[in-house]
Amino acid sequence: MNHKKIKFIVGSLLIVGAIGYLISASISSTSQYFFTVEELAAQKISFEGEGLKIKGNVVNGSIQRDPNDSLNVRFAIEENKSHLDVVYQGITPDMFLDGGEVVVEGTLDSKGVFHADVLMTSCPSKYEAEKEAGKTHPGELPLNGGGKGMDLNKTAPPVKTTI
Amino acid sequence: MDDFTLQYVWAYSSRDLDTFYKISSFWGGQKGSLLFWTLLLSIYTVIVHIQNRKRNALVVPYAMVVMMTITTFFLVLLNFSTNPFEVIPVPPEDGRGLNPLLQNYWMVIHPPTLYLGYVGFTVPFAFAMAALICKNLDDSWIRLTRKWTLVSWFFLCMGNLFGAQWAYLELGWGGYWAWDPVENAAFMPLLVATAYLHSVMIQEKKDMMKIWNMSLVLLTFVMTIFGTFITRSGLIQSVHTFDEATLGYYFLAFLGVIIVICVGLILSRLSLLKSNNELDSFLSRESSFLFNNLMLLGIGFATFWGTIFPIISEAVRGVKITVGPPFYNQVNVPIGLALLALIGIGPIIAWRRATWSNLKKNFMKPLLAGLLAAGVLFPFLPLGSRSEIYSYITFVLCVFVMTTILIEFFKGAVARKSLHDEKLPEALASLVWRSKSRYGGYIVHIGVVLIFAGIAGSQSYSAHTEKRIKIGESLKVKEFTFTYERLGFIEENATKTRAIAQVGVYKDGKRVWTGQPEKEFYKGQNQPVSEVDVLSTWRQDLYLILADFGEDESATLKIYVNPMVSWIWMGGWVIAFGTMVSVWPDRLEQRRRLERMKIQSAVFSPAQE
Repeated sequence: MNHKKIKFIVGSLLIVGAIGYLISASISSTSQYFFTVEELAAQKISFEGEGLKIKGNVVNGSIQRDPNDSLNVRFAIEENKSHLDVVYQGITPDMFLDGGEVVVEGTLDSKGVFHADVLMTSCPSKYEAEKEAGKTHPGELPLNGGGKGMDLNKTAPPVKTTI
Repeated sequence: MDDFTLQYVWAYSSRDLDTFYKISSFWGGQKGSLLFWTLLLSIYTVIVHIQNRKRNALVVPYAMVVMMTITTFFLVLLNFSTNPFEVIPVPPEDGRGLNPLLQNYWMVIHPPTLYLGYVGFTVPFAFAMAALICKNLDDSWIRLTRKWTLVSWFFLCMGNLFGAQWAYLELGWGGYWAWDPVENAAFMPLLVATAYLHSVMIQEKKDMMKIWNMSLVLLTFVMTIFGTFITRSGLIQSVHTFDEATLGYYFLAFLGVIIVICVGLILSRLSLLKSNNELDSFLSRESSFLFNNLMLLGIGFATFWGTIFPIISEAVRGVKITVGPPFYNQVNVPIGLALLALIGIGPIIAWRRATWSNLKKNFMKPLLAGLLAAGVLFPFLPLGSRSEIYSYITFVLCVFVMTTILIEFFKGAVARKSLHDEKLPEALASLVWRSKSRYGGYIVHIGVVLIFAGIAGSQSYSAHTEKRIKIGESLKVKEFTFTYERLGFIEENATKTRAIAQVGVYKDGKRVWTGQPEKEFYKGQNQPVSEVDVLSTWRQDLYLILADFGEDESATLKIYVNPMVSWIWMGGWVIAFGTMVSVWPDRLEQRRRLERMKIQSAVFSPAQE
């Protein structure tokens, strides 16, 4: 192994190392835990304030829109016997319907209410999404200004997210 | 067309569907898309056969075997796992129709374009395998498949852009890229293929990096299969749900077999793949290619890692941890910027070893242009957030790269002009015409620069608002005022009703546009579909969504002002043009190839065996 080769191996390793560092640093600063509603309920440690991504089905008849501001939505998602209340502000995707499967991203507050800033719907089962094609996109509509002015006095659901 | 005895036809088409969309429903679902894949692969195999009927008798049979094996895999899938010709015992009257979201012309051309690219990489892969198997490891397999690679790359690139455009126009969330696993699956092969396209030049010119090229072309193919696997297996949470999770495991098994064979073959031929030359200096064209490869693969790996991270974290720590767009942006933007800088540096730095005077000569003007741009743009652009700083750097780099490319064109044209006594435009045209692959490549670079600029502009300086307003009320975004004027309903046909909001757009008190975002209601579908309305200019897109409306005719509008989005699509067309120039049959090259063939057949002709 000659001098030039070593030089290039070291140079390349430096770049690879930098990219690796960038990846690992970014994962720890931007990642979110992913649970289904049932898994979240089964967690023993508190995830209050942590970035979370939760999947569940919208409880039939639970979607309530604020009469004064239709962008202010509260609903509940469930899976088997577990249940989670969600508040969301923003335009809901076209396929946000009773019984539909949704994924919400956001944080839990101390009362166990989930503040979603992203609300995504999966395609209704009628259409299996196809290859690249069927991406029924998230309708990702980030919340502006973080769930301010929302009334949080709903009865807290039995979510066991605190020890 | 309307044979609803076939379950697939029933599920994705209906009698009153437009013929245009009836064709697109062929690849509208999983089974059809696999059938389409197989069809393309068979067509490609036939083309390869016809192209090579009378030549390359040494490699082509092996390559055909590889392609046939892959075709067999798909045929097995179609026959035993996902039969697209399943019959319904009692044929229904009418089909269920195509998902309205897929009824968009971008959606008709996007999947076939992407598939043409995906499947196209089978050809270079097959030839690489063939070269490994028959130990014919000079660069003949690269030359034979150069055009296949370029064309496949082109289709993959266009497929991604068309997909972005569809998402932008049809899905109504104001963006064009969300780093969804399915998007990543199409993006990763593109990155690896781009790396391959560049590093083969080193092999052609310098006979270096043979193992690397071999690995890259194999990796490209593996990525296309991997992409299909993750999107079909349901292993990764995506907004795309797939019916048949088992299909993914067929792909996983196939993937495993391919990887084992490839790695085994490369290892056993390692001694034949030794390079005769080596890198000399960091400041050389060769190493700029090396760095370009590292950057592209870096982005590719980051994307890969982010996509499979949920699986890894679940296996290692027992918790599913996902990463979203912030992760990809944080990692890929800095690497992308380094890559952009290399686009400028690569083509003008000297081969082997760049000297100081040579650097000064080549880089003085572009650097000055970049610095000038930095100075001029500084007072106009806000630099408040990280993304704004990135965008500022991107613009400066774009100017730098653009200058290097234009100087290349200009220098060549001036030299020709004085040599051949031609006028400048004429000299420019014949310059490009004379060395198509080189200048075609530069044109593609121009397109890439435009895309970078478009992304930088639209990511950092876009503004949006959403609000419920009554008729006559206005919203203000940036320098535009949007006035909600009226709400109308049109009954298009028996199955489709459109609700249309009319929005007047004013700038400085003058009416510049009337936007009509709408919501469409389809009979039998319980969900309405939002149709956005977009006014696209080179400065910005005005993007209107009608989210909701009430009985008192008040409507919830979401309005985006996205600067420079059209630059991305423009960049796409420039890339298309550049690739075209690059693959255009070249008489000089053909003559060179004939010469080579003569020598080759003299040595290897079957008659001598």
